[in-house]
Amino acid sequence: MSKNPIRLDVAERELKSGLTLLAVHNPGVQTFACAVSLDTRIADDPVKLPGVANMVGECLDEGTSRYDSLGLAAAAEEVGAALEGNHRGGAVMCPVSSQKKATELLRQLVMEPSFPGREVRRVQSEVLTELQSELDEPRTVAARRFRAEIYGEHVLGRAMQGTLESVAAIKPKHLREYHETWFRPRDGYVAASGPFEPEDMLDRLERAFRGLRGAAPEHAPLPKVQLGDASDHHIAMPREQVHVFLGHAGVRREDPDFYRLSVMDHILGSGPGFTSRCSRKLRDEMGLCYSVSAGIAASAGAEPGTFTAYIGTSAEHREKAVAGFLAEIDRIRSQPPSESELQDVKDYLTGSFVFALERNSNLAAYALRARRFGLGYDFVERYPDLIRAVSVDDVRQVAERHLHPDRLTIVSAGAS
Amino acid sequence: MKMDIEMLPDVDVVELKNGFRALLVERRSLPVVASVCWYQVGSRDEKTGQTGVSHFLEHMMFKGTDKFGKGEIDQQTSKMGGSNNAFTDTDSTAYYFSLAADRWETALEIEASRMRSCLLDPDEFQSEKSVVLEELAMGEDEPWRPLYQAVESAMFQTHPYHHPVIGYREELERLTVGQMRSYYERHYGPNRACMTIVGAIDRRRTRRRIKQLFGGMPRVADREVAIREPEPKGERRVTLKTTHSVARACIGFPTCRMGARDDYALDLLAHDLGNSKNSRLYRRLVVEDRLVTEISVMNEVRQDPGGFFIMCELHPGAAPEKVERAIREEVAGMIDEGVAAHDLRRIRTQIEASFLFQDETVLDLAMKLARFEAGTPDGYSTLSQVLSTYASMKRKELCEVAARYLQFDRATIAWALPTDLPASATAGRASARSAAKRGSRRKAAPKGSPKKGKKKSKTGRGKA
Repeated sequence: MSKNPIRLDVAERELKSGLTLLAVHNPGVQTFACAVSLDTRIADDPVKLPGVANMVGECLDEGTSRYDSLGLAAAAEEVGAALEGNHRGGAVMCPVSSQKKATELLRQLVMEPSFPGREVRRVQSEVLTELQSELDEPRTVAARRFRAEIYGEHVLGRAMQGTLESVAAIKPKHLREYHETWFRPRDGYVAASGPFEPEDMLDRLERAFRGLRGAAPEHAPLPKVQLGDASDHHIAMPREQVHVFLGHAGVRREDPDFYRLSVMDHILGSGPGFTSRCSRKLRDEMGLCYSVSAGIAASAGAEPGTFTAYIGTSAEHREKAVAGFLAEIDRIRSQPPSESELQDVKDYLTGSFVFALERNSNLAAYALRARRFGLGYDFVERYPDLIRAVSVDDVRQVAERHLHPDRLTIVSAGAS
Repeated sequence: MKMDIEMLPDVDVVELKNGFRALLVERRSLPVVASVCWYQVGSRDEKTGQTGVSHFLEHMMFKGTDKFGKGEIDQQTSKMGGSNNAFTDTDSTAYYFSLAADRWETALEIEASRMRSCLLDPDEFQSEKSVVLEELAMGEDEPWRPLYQAVESAMFQTHPYHHPVIGYREELERLTVGQMRSYYERHYGPNRACMTIVGAIDRRRTRRRIKQLFGGMPRVADREVAIREPEPKGERRVTLKTTHSVARACIGFPTCRMGARDDYALDLLAHDLGNSKNSRLYRRLVVEDRLVTEISVMNEVRQDPGGFFIMCELHPGAAPEKVERAIREEVAGMIDEGVAAHDLRRIRTQIEASFLFQDETVLDLAMKLARFEAGTPDGYSTLSQVLSTYASMKRKELCEVAARYLQFDRATIAWALPTDLPASATAGRASARSAAKRGSRRKAAPKGSPKKGKKKSKTGRGKA
């Protein structure tokens, strides 16, 4: 694969409030994207009322100091903008001609939400129905239980959406308290991408978000995530397929093995098309499934993610599928891949990176990730070398170090 | 708000004597290229007893050709740092690649090789059949797919849109590799395909390469005209019992062909009826009456007359008959009133913006061109008229179109009800009254795209 010729033009400015603005220059495009990502964490969700942070995100667009719920939606629609809130802030995409208005609407959504009682109750009812509906979906049921088993009592084991009981108890005042406490500028980011010159774009962002002030309390420190013991669980549901999750606690994004693990993932179970070992074996050769995957790097963040192998299959194939995963985990831990297998994955990873940079929203997200994890804005230029440096022995060694077949949690839900 | 939108990029058309057409667009913002090879074959071309063969064949098109052995298409794509995938729907089967600009021509070689020389190895056929049957089982577990299929099957009783794209389990189990080969040889050829290629390409070189690779291929039989679906002679109802705990409804109205003037009107009506917070159905059923948690409306155009669908998910405890009555009232209101001028302006702004977002990636643009080229009588050049057609529509015409298609005496109404809810809950026909009598007019402004040609009844081979 040829050297990646991509070079991004990113500018940043830190405001006195501690908010950092990021601007990616994407010349020639007719669209603009902007995302606000504040330093809110899963542990900030009230212990006795999980789901508040999620509800805050769901309700940000239900009204601001200037607009009611429908008025805010109409204001965005009038300028062709797609506006949404989330538990860290919000995002907007729009034609470049409506950048000013769309950014202003995003500012209001993030900084001046009104959480009107009637609309909060409506959203609450919708979230409750969604939670109820998800109890019918074996894949979701298994995924939630898998996470809970892996993290145990640790805060990372909580469902971000909360529970039927906790969501039912949420009041507008809880949302206001959370917003007032945690939607603060320090260590937060506003990232935008569009055709404007970077300094011009930073000026525009500063004008919009310089009013975000105040300090949040210190975040509660999280205890270390421990590897659990091996366990196997099945939740019977009247369905055609069974959905199986298998894995254990994973790594942080800053783990020194991160790039080696990315390569390992693609060999094991995250490769494109059906090139990974798990796809070739469990889908192509054994015909067990339509959907199969395995990997550890994709979920790595500020806190440890999970190593997760997943398959959706018929009930009679459950044990065969689990045995297939175990065989592949054992193989990648005990034998280095061939040079050609490794080279194929390197070619893919170094060549495909550019496709993540086509959309403005992706460019803004890229700048944000690069800044938040200290990767540097030239990461896109250095990334190919980081991947090319991985050897066949590295792959085996990181597999041995980070995959623990004797500590696997297996959770399935669906047909028995 | 005025947007400066280039709807139709500079397209270079390659037309071969055997009927193959390719559309080339040079775009050099990034060193990437996307290609889409779009075949005029889908589930509507299947014979009774062989349902699902189009989609199953799409899977087999990755399982080896005369020049690319088993697994090589995926492996080569991956080595080139690219991705590929495919999908099948009622009218079409499409294969697509996103690749780095210095090696994208392999995509052309793969498409040329599998157009006439797919191996269809019997062992691979058997193994992939298991994958397809697992895909079918996965779909049966989803809450929406059985309901949507129930509407399609009841709405299209004569036309082959009647059967599911993925096929019937028993017919898939019985399907032989010989039957698939015969289907492949009949339908896969240069005159049944078009390609769109967008990105950092050398147009002259690409043109030359297309002629080399596709020029010698023989034509295959032209597509047969499908039997016409007669106008429904009354309302049709289906009630499914489901093990899911939430009640859902899907209401379908037969409509027109993709690209017809009425199709554009139905897009606008779909936006006004249900695709934003300010749409009629959202305001009435979600915000005011709080009967449903989600509602969406889709104008699903096809090459033969397609459907206009209203879908919703009920709050626990909400009475299905109340929901149905409210929907009837709102649809009646739309027929009475059409769409107000200020609402139309807002909807058009949303549609224009959605076209901008559809051009952000080379694959998006390649897909849009292919969809219009294959799906509309005037091909890709239809794009130059799209916005002006939307702009030319006035309230009176929208009322007429709504009255023509959105009558409940030609609708199919399907409910999926949890097993503990009596089927009689939806047995009585609710009476409609005009929503105009309820006071304030709704403001329409969808946030979604018009999604021309986007299918719900689409299925593919899995992840990219």
